[in-house]
Amino acid sequence: VRAPIKRTVGSRFLLPVGLLSVAALASLAMFFPGALAGASGHSDAAQVSITPGEVTTHACGTVNVKGVTNSVTNAGNPFLSSSKTCLNGHLISYGNTAITYANPPQAFVSAGRLLFAQTCSSCHGSEANGVNPEGQAAIGPNLQGVGAATVDFWVSTGRMPATDVQAVEAERKPSRLTPVQALELAAWVNSLDPAVPAVPNPHLAGADQSAGQDLFSLNCAACHTIEGSGDALAFGTNAPSLQNRSVTAQQVVEAIRTGPANMPRFSGNLTDRQVTDIVSYVTGRLQHPTNPGGAALGGVGPVAEGFVALLIGVGGLALICFWIGERS
Amino acid sequence: VSDTDHQPSRTRVPMPIAALSDPHMGDAAKNPDRTEKIIGLILFVSIVFFAVAGAAYVQNWNPWTFGGALGAGLFALGFGLTAWGKYLMPQGPFVEERHTLASTSEERDTMSAALVERSAVVVKRRKMLGGLFAAGATVFGIVAAFPLIRSLGPLPGTSLETTGWRKGMVLVDSTGRPVRRDTLVVGGIMTVYPQDTVDPQNGFITDQGQAVDQTVLIRVSDQPFTTEPGRESWTPDGYVAYSKLCTHLGCPVGLYEQELELLVCPCHQSMFNVRNGAVPQFGPAPRPLPQMHLGYNDDGYLIAMAPYNQPVGPGFWERNS
Repeated sequence: VRAPIKRTVGSRFLLPVGLLSVAALASLAMFFPGALAGASGHSDAAQVSITPGEVTTHACGTVNVKGVTNSVTNAGNPFLSSSKTCLNGHLISYGNTAITYANPPQAFVSAGRLLFAQTCSSCHGSEANGVNPEGQAAIGPNLQGVGAATVDFWVSTGRMPATDVQAVEAERKPSRLTPVQALELAAWVNSLDPAVPAVPNPHLAGADQSAGQDLFSLNCAACHTIEGSGDALAFGTNAPSLQNRSVTAQQVVEAIRTGPANMPRFSGNLTDRQVTDIVSYVTGRLQHPTNPGGAALGGVGPVAEGFVALLIGVGGLALICFWIGERS
Repeated sequence: VSDTDHQPSRTRVPMPIAALSDPHMGDAAKNPDRTEKIIGLILFVSIVFFAVAGAAYVQNWNPWTFGGALGAGLFALGFGLTAWGKYLMPQGPFVEERHTLASTSEERDTMSAALVERSAVVVKRRKMLGGLFAAGATVFGIVAAFPLIRSLGPLPGTSLETTGWRKGMVLVDSTGRPVRRDTLVVGGIMTVYPQDTVDPQNGFITDQGQAVDQTVLIRVSDQPFTTEPGRESWTPDGYVAYSKLCTHLGCPVGLYEQELELLVCPCHQSMFNVRNGAVPQFGPAPRPLPQMHLGYNDDGYLIAMAPYNQPVGPGFWERNS
């Protein structure tokens, strides 16, 4: 009473061959985590830097240049950095060798007014003051006096214009407006009530990634996690993941200096140099995790790793033991 | 089996191995030449992989190459060995007839007689050995209890109720930099420590400064505000400071949501409203975070106007409130 030869041979080799295939596929996936994760990066985040030369074309007559020595905190503050202002006091640019801040050119203002009327005014009011035509509170908040960097961050990361105004948080998405259009909006909103911070232009050449890691773990990791994979917070809010996103260094500086939504605003406790350290760590390491140990398993730590080790490791060993001990 | 079947143990008895035509012998065993070739191929593959691993080691190739080749070689070796045993060795169950193991009755009688005769002398209670054994076990038991005894004392005294904060101490960050009026803007947060526990060159001087004294400093507003009656002057320029130790289990409460004005504990999601004295709004925390009375010194630096007015961190047995 024998089974046909082919079937017997097949069933005998089924278990070990299946195990081997699964192990081979799993190890392949560990070597190429990006292939399974899919293309999650956006190509919309081109960085536009405003060079000081461009800024001095402001039609404001003589430019007043103020140099600051012995600045203590040097934290994106025009009063503690060397700065350029028009004689009428209008701030053009300020900063140091780590980050220079500059307002968008005056020539952007008129285009920004048109763009704002088309894409933003229905929620924020026609004067960006959070008041609707009936004189009541509009859907969106008052934007006057938030500084050009705030507007540039929200628009260039695609969070504004929002698709769902009832949502708890405006999620990052491919930007509907070009980087230049974001600057035009920033120029107009800032012209209504000039404020700081202006749009930053970080210079990462001298940045220290190691110091950036220390500063990240001290100031950022509480919410974004030590791996930068993001985490849930209170009342439906969350700290977004920093991994596998093409966020520019400029946008990271804007987030740190302006504190979008529920993120705290980091000012005097981080100098411009320290901010570039953090930015260098975020854009140079965290954004593109290399995972030398194989699959990151979400970067959530030992629970997931232990689970996989037990399930696949011990489970696989048990199956192999069954196969060895199998009687024909 | 009776004694008459007894045979000299050295006698060679042919073991009845299952014939290759036996029904429980597998298909592979019915064609042993082919199976041997396959297993030989697998073993040869293991040799090749080992050679690659050796070359990778000598030539200092990529560690993935070395590890992968070594792993593959070991796997092929083990696979071949297992397959050899599984397909080319006869498999049981086998029954081997053997001679009786019992001694002859004469030998057994002699043995029991000797035991009976000698037991009166040899087998007896040995009190000294028993006593020494008991002493050893007792000493071990006492020594093993040392950690338990040590954990019972000394009593913590007031160490759980005090921190390193003293009246007039300047708030500094983790690098020893003091905090000024314009350090934070509204919506900013930082962790501060007592001045004397951080050295600008060497970092934290004491563990206590890092663990017990850590305090979150938040600028909630431009104006002073009142978290609780009686604390009107505790929040100069809208700065407010709370102990960073969660009152539940002592995790660092470091997640600040500036729009919701909430501090969130990452361990069990306790939420504290920073405007109303960090009263827990959600989660298992039983008490508000202790608030620090803030002020400025003559140089314009933020200082603690008084130590914390209650123990920080989780509850403990002797806690009064």
